[in-house]
Amino acid sequence: MIKAEHIFKSFNNGITEVLKDISLNISDGDFVVILGASGSGKSTLMNVLSGLEQADKGKITVNEQELTTLNDKQLTEFRKNNIGFVFQQYYLLPHLNVESNIKLGADLVKNHNYAEIIESLGLTDKIKKHPSELSGGEQQRVCIARALAKKPSVLFLDEPTGALDEATGRDVLDYIIKEKERHGFTMIMVTHNQNIAETAHTVIKMNSGKIVEIHTNNKQKTAREIGW
Amino acid sequence: MIISFKSALKLVGIAIVLFCAAFVCTFFLNFYLDVLPLRDEVTEQMLPLYEAQLATAQMCCAITGGVLTFIACIMALFYVKLYIDEHYKELGTFKALGYSANRLAASFMLFGLSAFVGCALGYGLGHAMMPSIYKWLTIDGLNVEIHYHTGLLFGIVITPTIFLGAVAYLCAYLQLKKPALAILKGQRKQRKIKSNNGSKQNNNSFLKEMCFKTITDNKLLTFFVTFSAFCFSAMIQMGASMESLVDGTMGWMILAIGLVLAGTSAFMALTSLVKNTSQSIAMMKTFGYSLRERVTSIFAGFIPFAILGFVIGTVYQYGLLTLMINLIFKDVGEVPDYSFNVKIMFITLAAFIVTYTAITAIYVAKVNKVSVKQIMLEN
Ligand SMILES: Nc1ncnc2c1ncn2[C@@H]1O[C@H](COP(=O)(O)OP(=O)(O)O)[C@@H](O)[C@H]1O
Ligand SMILES: [Mg+2]
Repeated sequence: MIKAEHIFKSFNNGITEVLKDISLNISDGDFVVILGASGSGKSTLMNVLSGLEQADKGKITVNEQELTTLNDKQLTEFRKNNIGFVFQQYYLLPHLNVESNIKLGADLVKNHNYAEIIESLGLTDKIKKHPSELSGGEQQRVCIARALAKKPSVLFLDEPTGALDEATGRDVLDYIIKEKERHGFTMIMVTHNQNIAETAHTVIKMNSGKIVEIHTNNKQKTAREIGW
Repeated sequence: MIISFKSALKLVGIAIVLFCAAFVCTFFLNFYLDVLPLRDEVTEQMLPLYEAQLATAQMCCAITGGVLTFIACIMALFYVKLYIDEHYKELGTFKALGYSANRLAASFMLFGLSAFVGCALGYGLGHAMMPSIYKWLTIDGLNVEIHYHTGLLFGIVITPTIFLGAVAYLCAYLQLKKPALAILKGQRKQRKIKSNNGSKQNNNSFLKEMCFKTITDNKLLTFFVTFSAFCFSAMIQMGASMESLVDGTMGWMILAIGLVLAGTSAFMALTSLVKNTSQSIAMMKTFGYSLRERVTSIFAGFIPFAILGFVIGTVYQYGLLTLMINLIFKDVGEVPDYSFNVKIMFITLAAFIVTYTAITAIYVAKVNKVSVKQIMLEN
């Protein structure tokens, strides 16, 4: 359960107001898409909800822990126990091979059975390769495997298909949705792509740092159906 | 011009190392050249001491000049790599547009400028301090006057400048002769990666592997760490022993040069280590690795190199002092009594541990600040 109450966040000593009074509730196991134009504050919202950054004002509770009272060290510990991340730019460690990159996630929670995740993401024959030898779609699948290997209860994805071409993006999205159904974690995906929103259960629309609409899709579309 | 004067002058490491080398060589060589013609005036009795002084001057110049020029070359290699790593996009584009590797590498000769600055300053200081240095280099009964030797200007300032420029050119040429596309893909990714395709599961923990890869990916930095510890250990112990053996001023000078060299190379190593690993550190922090785990995975692998440097330094200074005393003073009546100074060694070791822990602590604070947000904003 993620609960945010009246969140404010600004940069440059308050000159750039990025989040203006955000409140929301996300229930366990939900698939949420945060939709909004570039610069509307989606990534910043994701960062404060996941404990990467502190909000200036307001209260955030994730899995009964109040993030807004934690210090940097406690936030790190919190992320270790609860959160998984996937970023648009992958951020794989370039000098380590695929397996070691996935171990970055797996070792944190002493997960020795990550081979199964590698297999379900279709990476079995890539584990000895380095990130630079992989295509964008493959790199993003490694990121997903890395995040899942630490068994997060909440998975955050920031524009996971943003750097990929359409077909590859849809392919990766397919994998994401499949893994979400298999493991049942809470999933929060940031995107500016309207079509992707139709795959989600809950869609939160943002505009200039405010939530302008929250709606639920009764029938979620698959990555193939969205025609993107 | 691809490389600006400003960036060519920023290679502080080279400047500092060559400053020390030029300083020492300037007064020793000048003294040597001034004393050489006075052989006829030396009495039979003083001849051994006279020869001893000449040998000292020669040996100090050869060792300081040789070792430090070698270090400066390694630093040039380091700076060239760093520059190409940071500017691979521009350099790759130039190459794609048809600039030859030769032409691009030629502009790296400007790196010789920082060698010039270091050498010129060292040369200047050497001359400025010459009167007081001559006072304690003096040989009884000989009246050594300071003469100006033009040749030294060439040997100590001009030659190293040209030499370092040439080294930079060569390093750059070797790295830029790759095809344009390879350069554009970035140095890091370019490195030959040994993908063994065996399906053997690797049982090392992530942190162990991180630690190991940090070392193998930063081999040049292991050299700087070793050198830094070596300078600290060798020159403090030598300086302290000299103080009691021969002369205080000389001892203090060696000690100061040692600290400057140790500090410069430690600074270079740590700064670029944090820089090279910042993306890895950021991801580790994002995923929840504690500060302790992050710091260990980056710095721990270098500890053996620091210890190695300290040990080599200790042995080296003992060997050098023994050699100097036995060779140089063997014909002089009063050979100073010298044996390995255990007390100084332990004091130096304590100072070494305290200093290097403190320096690392400063960088630990830097490591803690690296976040994924910062990496994102940089991209
Ligand atoms: N650390 C920061 N310092 C200054 N401005 C920032 C910082 N982080 C984000 N911003 C600004 O906040 C706004 C929203 O950013 P972001 O949350 O990344 O939007 P989105 O992800 O929706 O594109 C942008 O205008 C961005 O420039
Ligand atoms: Mg964003």
